[in-house]
Amino acid sequence: MNGNLYQPISGRIIDIIDESPTIKSFVVEAESPFKFATGQFIELTLPGVGEAPFTPSSSPKQTEQMEITIMKAGRVTGLLHECSPGQMVGIRGPFGNGYPVNGFAGKEIYIVGGGVGLAPIRSLFLTLVDRIKDFKKVVCRFGARTPDDFIYKKALFGPWQKINGVDIKLTVDKGDGQWTGNVGVVTTILNANDVDVKNAVAIVCGPPIMMKYATIKLLEFKFAPDTIYLSMEKNMSCGIGKCGHCMLGKYYVCKDGPVFTYEQIRKYPKIWD
Amino acid sequence: MDAVFVSKLKTLLDALAEKMDVYVPAKASKHLVFTKYDPGSSPAVEFNAVRTCTPVKEFLFPLRETAATMQTQAQVPALKAFAVVGLKDCDVRSIAILDKVFAEDDFKDALYVARREKMFIVSSDCTEPAQTCFCALFEGKGFTEKGFDLNISPIKGGFIVDIGSRKGHEFVERNSGLFADVPAALLEERDANRAAVQQQLERQSAEFIPSEPLQRILERTQDSEIFAQLAKDCIECQACTRVCPTCHCFYLYDGKQQDYFTKMKIWDSCMRFGYAMVAGGANPNKVLGERMKHRLMHKFVYFLERYGVNMCVGCGRCIDADAGGIDLRQVLKKLGEEARLQKTERAK
Repeated sequence: MNGNLYQPISGRIIDIIDESPTIKSFVVEAESPFKFATGQFIELTLPGVGEAPFTPSSSPKQTEQMEITIMKAGRVTGLLHECSPGQMVGIRGPFGNGYPVNGFAGKEIYIVGGGVGLAPIRSLFLTLVDRIKDFKKVVCRFGARTPDDFIYKKALFGPWQKINGVDIKLTVDKGDGQWTGNVGVVTTILNANDVDVKNAVAIVCGPPIMMKYATIKLLEFKFAPDTIYLSMEKNMSCGIGKCGHCMLGKYYVCKDGPVFTYEQIRKYPKIWD
Repeated sequence: MDAVFVSKLKTLLDALAEKMDVYVPAKASKHLVFTKYDPGSSPAVEFNAVRTCTPVKEFLFPLRETAATMQTQAQVPALKAFAVVGLKDCDVRSIAILDKVFAEDDFKDALYVARREKMFIVSSDCTEPAQTCFCALFEGKGFTEKGFDLNISPIKGGFIVDIGSRKGHEFVERNSGLFADVPAALLEERDANRAAVQQQLERQSAEFIPSEPLQRILERTQDSEIFAQLAKDCIECQACTRVCPTCHCFYLYDGKQQDYFTKMKIWDSCMRFGYAMVAGGANPNKVLGERMKHRLMHKFVYFLERYGVNMCVGCGRCIDADAGGIDLRQVLKKLGEEARLQKTERAK
């Protein structure tokens, strides 16, 4: 790939959706149609302020506008949360490998997600649902701290659950007056019978601690390490495997990931830190 | 390989300076650093017997540069061709390592590539290596055999100038009046000089030759106490990564000019506490010893796996610069001893 890969193209925030007390989705329109594969990420620049990596949460089919779901976590995301529609932004990418969706054909797909980890998963989910007949079934097990912390509530509590071939179960760490579902961390709703492990792949995306225990559970269910796909969160900065911040063993998460199989990274220390 | 003879270094530098900016090693207090050569007013040019204090990477990957701009039509000024004189074999090999990352990878760094294309490399033989030079551990030599445009070997009464590239050849052709043929006796003298320096380099590294590949040593000493001990000496000045000619971590920093926005590319250091920290606060390398281990793993394990070479040329700059007195040679030696002990214990 040539050209100056540090140069963002410009874009504009055209809508902002409140998802949860700490998470908002930003609808961004780039100056020209923006193509990406599901699971790839972009570097979003708030000009003059900083840049941070996000996996778009919209379907890759949608190239005119992309949605980026952002949790208020640090300086850049904090200031993004204060932006209004009309704000100019920069976009670099797409970077990384994304999910090998074609390789999932004919399989059962077991998606385990938590918190803002549902952002990349939404993009994947929309991609899978688009060709749902290619897969045996899509089983989702999602968790959030409280019912109010779920993002994409409208779709999640409604239409997504009604899609043929999709099985969704939700859990919260702590319920509220209305919650009638499961209470407990996401591993409490994982069950060895949810999928036929021999013909399944697992996708895990969420906070590191959740990813760790979900992976342990999946291994207990006899998922092979090369069938567990993990979306790794590191300090991706350049996006092109040079600046060094996101190194995970010999890998650059930005270039070789952000999606890795557990097999690829299991030998490295501190993958969950 | 073609070679010519020139009696004065200044003759060569003046010819280079006709078409290029020329940088030469010059003393700044007691250190050799690269300084722009001015044919009119630069004082007598001295041949540098040893590598400079600062690394050559600064010419290709400057400490800070504008990587991108937003909301401006400002044109980046065209780069001028430049020559860097007095690079040693370690420096030339460090460029080959940086090339792998920035110019030969499937993602190219356009900023680096643009500078690299404009660079004219004039290397020179080491005649008085530093005590801290340990290039002999990394297939380095006191003279360089490839990767240069011209190479200078000091010799009785002048300098042998080897031609190492098409660019170098064109330069010599263009300036053929300045050069003479090399008498065969001088080539022999040079070979003898080079052999003597090589012996010295090998002698001073002899006690540090690892008993097995560094990659294996490091992989086996992940849990060593040595890293925690090292952390006690390290003062976190990051000088090791600054002077290292192969360390190439950087960060992108967004800023504002009067009427437009910039994204700067600035040297970073994996020794810095917040280096790998993410916005949520998670930080895989909170502990200093862990950061030091990561640096060595990157140099001698991960880089090797990725690019087929160690990310170290044995220039010894990090040893000279280390305010805490950490000597990479000693560190690798200690780790080697620990790895050997482990092996013997397992064998029992």
